[in-house]
Amino acid sequence: MPPAASPVPCKPLFFDLALNHIGFPSLDHKLPVKGAEAASPASAGEANKPDQPGGLSGLVKGLWGWGSKK
Amino acid sequence: MAHNIKNVRIQAAYAELKKLIDQGSYSRIIKTTNKIVNDDQSQPEAWQCKVVAYIQLDQFKEAINAINKAPNRQQMQFELAYSQYRLNKVAAAIDTLDSAPDKDSPRGKELRAQILYRLEQHSECYTVYRELLRTTADDMDMERTTNMAAVQVHRVELGQCPVPS
Repeated sequence: MPPAASPVPCKPLFFDLALNHIGFPSLDHKLPVKGAEAASPASAGEANKPDQPGGLSGLVKGLWGWGSKK
Repeated sequence: MAHNIKNVRIQAAYAELKKLIDQGSYSRIIKTTNKIVNDDQSQPEAWQCKVVAYIQLDQFKEAINAINKAPNRQQMQFELAYSQYRLNKVAAAIDTLDSAPDKDSPRGKELRAQILYRLEQHSECYTVYRELLRTTADDMDMERTTNMAAVQVHRVELGQCPVPS
């Protein structure tokens, strides 16, 4: 026969929330290379991409994007 | 000339550091920050990354050593207080937090509440949590309420407040 169940005190849960406030600093200003890159034709083209009309290639890309996400 | 080479090397190391932070490769972050501070001791970002990586690896003694060596140690008093708290040096932790520049910021209060809990100063802890819950609005409110409930359990046990009905 198991003994009758009775309530026992338990240690309450306590979360460490202060750790969430410890993060890495932004390093963007330490990387001036990135600014130069943004001015280069390659990344400028990339930045313009979303504004270009979709067309067939856009549709295909969309399908690929859709396919890869699933 | 040599100065220039050093700058390029430091810049490359920061680029690497950014990648490693995205990947969460904490041990490699420490190695890369060492490269930077070996070249130039006065790089606050590198020191901060090193300290945060040590904390993420639960290497709190190493984090404290790094803070003490850093030129920007004054800006890392919160990280110092947190590391002391995790090493269970709670008296030192509250002293550090009291002299930290951001002791009254939300994160300062969050850490203060946790230290007060460890110090078993439940009434003070309860007051800080009540204020935090009133003034903050983020997705951690549930956890904060849970912590406050834990404080209340101890207060009830000690007869500092009535048992909720």
